[in-house]
Formats: sequence, C-alpha cells, structure tokens
Amino acid sequence: MTITPTDTRLRRYEDIRDLMAGPAEPTPLVRLRHLPDPDASLYLKLEWMSPFGSIKDRTARYLLDGLEAAGLLDGKDIVEPTSGNTGIALAALAALRGIRLIATVPSGVPDEKKVLMRMLGAEVWETPDDLCPVDSPKDGAIALARAIAASDPRFVMPNQYANGDNVRAHYETTGPEIWTQTDGEVAVFVAGLGTGGTLTGVGRYLKERNPEVRIVAVEPQPGHRLPGLKSLREAKTPEILDWSVIDEVVEVGDDDAYARTKELYRREALMVGPSTGAIVHAALQLDPAAGLVVGVSPDSGFKYTSYFADILGDEGLPTP
Amino acid sequence: MSGPAFRESTPRLTLDCEGLLCPLPVYKAGLALSRMSPGDLLELVSTDPGSLADVPAMARQRGDHLRSVVTEGDRHVFLLEKGPAR
Repeated sequence: MTITPTDTRLRRYEDIRDLMAGPAEPTPLVRLRHLPDPDASLYLKLEWMSPFGSIKDRTARYLLDGLEAAGLLDGKDIVEPTSGNTGIALAALAALRGIRLIATVPSGVPDEKKVLMRMLGAEVWETPDDLCPVDSPKDGAIALARAIAASDPRFVMPNQYANGDNVRAHYETTGPEIWTQTDGEVAVFVAGLGTGGTLTGVGRYLKERNPEVRIVAVEPQPGHRLPGLKSLREAKTPEILDWSVIDEVVEVGDDDAYARTKELYRREALMVGPSTGAIVHAALQLDPAAGLVVGVSPDSGFKYTSYFADILGDEGLPTP
Repeated sequence: MSGPAFRESTPRLTLDCEGLLCPLPVYKAGLALSRMSPGDLLELVSTDPGSLADVPAMARQRGDHLRSVVTEGDRHVFLLEKGPAR
C-alpha cells in the first residue's frame, strides 16, 4: 500500500491542522431526537468535533492567517483577550508556529481552560472585568490586552472583537457548511452573542442565499456564568457585530441554560458546554413549525467539569 | 529597652512600569501586592497619567493603603502598603 499525504476518506492526516473544519470537511450536524416537539426539526452543529475543541478553531486560524498575509506577524508574538476557547486554539496554532501567546482572560474562566492554555505553552493573565476601577467598562481583559500590545512592540493583538477575519471565518466556512448540510433548507439559525463573529458571518452568508432565513442571537443576563457569551447590558458591543443580520435577540438566564445543558446530557447524550444549553433553550422556544432550525454547539463540556460539579452538588453521589 | 515606634519606609519591591500603558501598571501592582505580606511596601513607578486615578482606586478596592504619591515630570512614584490579610 502506498502511503499518500492527508487522506480524509481514511481519516489519515499529515498535520493536525488538516483536521480543522471547512466546507470540504464540515463539523457534524446532529438532530435532537428527544428534547424538541416531535414536529420540530432542530439540529445542533457540533463545533467541538474539531482538533482544538471549539468553534474558535476557525476564528483562530483566520486571525493568524490574516495577520500573516498582512505581514503583521513577522517575528511577533501574540496577545489576545479571550474567555478561553480562542486562547486554546490560538495557543495550539502559535505552538505549531513557534510563537508565544499571552491570553488575557476575565476572572471566572474555568480552571480547565486556563490550564489547557498553559499546557500549550501560553501565558495566562487573569483579570477582573473592572480592572480599571475609574474608567470601568466591564472588559478588563480587552483593556489589558490592548495595553500590552500598545506598550510592547514585540506583541500584536489579533483582536477577535474587531477583526473582520473573525467574521470571514464563519462567512467562508460555517455558513456554507450549514447551507450544504441542510440542502438549503435551513430556516432559522441560533447562536450565542459573544464576539459577534459567528452571528455576523453565518448570518450574512445565509441571508445572501435566502433572505428569509431568521437569525436569532442568544444573550446572557448581566453577571452570568456562561463563558463565551456576553451581555451587552454590561459589555461594549463588539465592533464586528452587524445588527442588520440579526432578527431577534433572546435573553437566557444561567438557571435555564444549565438545566438545558443537563437535559442535553441525559436525554440526547450530548456532552456539551453550558453555552450550548443557552442556545438550545432559546431554540426550543421557537414555533415548532418554524422549519429547519440549526443551533450552534460551540464547545463540549470537558472544560467545565468544575462548573458542573457546582450545579450537581450531591446529585449522583451515594447516600449513607 | 524599646525604642520609639518605627514605621517601615523601605519598599520590599520596586516595580518599574515606565512606558507601560494603563491598566498594565495597576495589573502588575495588584499581582505584586497579592504575593506580599501585610505591612510590606511596594514602590510603583509609572509614567501613564491614568495611573494617578487608577492606582488610588485600586488600592481602596483591594484594601491596601496608598502612603504617598510623588510626581516628578511625567514620573509618578507610588508607595503602597499591603493591607491586612483578607
């Protein structure tokens, strides 16, 4: 047998990056069989079936490729504000390129994520959101990353909140994948409000193909414990977020999000992270006759076991 | 025989944050203070004008004590005392 380079049919790869999703190798789209109304058609796009474990694999690749194409990466290291998933993907890709990453993360990011970034060789700078006590938008991690990049010329900040390559990642990959996987039948797309990259990129692509597609944004409540999502009542609106593609915003509380997450484990055997619970909770409030609904499952639950332990309490433990 | 009460004024650590933009001086000072013992002194040197407002606010928020601020040209020298253990 002749060994050929990367052969996706045999799932044999010459480079871990060949496993990253794109229209030729989409992440899976899986129907929820038990939670929704039997007449409803709700699918989840499992973004955690990607080598670095989340939807941010796409973003990180586009951010770095974009910097490189613009000649901004030559000899530079990276600093980026992240709630963890972008940091993990950037740390992995930076490790492969032999460059250094400082990830500034808001307090409350699960230890699992911080440890994984450090395992990949990144430096993790944790900061409270109100780091600047006087001038206090609730984005301390963003302010800190900006200050590092502005103070030290060795660093460049991709800035997923303002970089159009974040949108392009989803316009060129996630959106076309969903369109192809649903044979153009997608009627509603539901995703979390974070950087705005997924909603804007996928929303733009799907609406260009079919202006009738509805785009639903899921927003957490202020003071939430749903990493990756942002409440725009307490954080600045990301620069790349294009409100014109969003038809509806659904606010979901932590209790509902975690209850749905638990249901997804126990009734659908889907081992997802808590933001997926929030997205599914919003999707289940849609009219069952809405047509084919696609929700994003940004990451799996493996990085949130400490959070889950909190919500479980003694549940699942033997009693004397 | 005991002498008069003596108030330590020699910093245990000097943090040079000249050229660093806010909130980096505040962040680094908080990191240093969190690794010090109650009563320890930290000298912070910053050139960012924002630190004149942010450092006192940070000290109040953390329960540490800002002993003095001396400004010479664009250099601000803060002397901070780590507060009691919380």
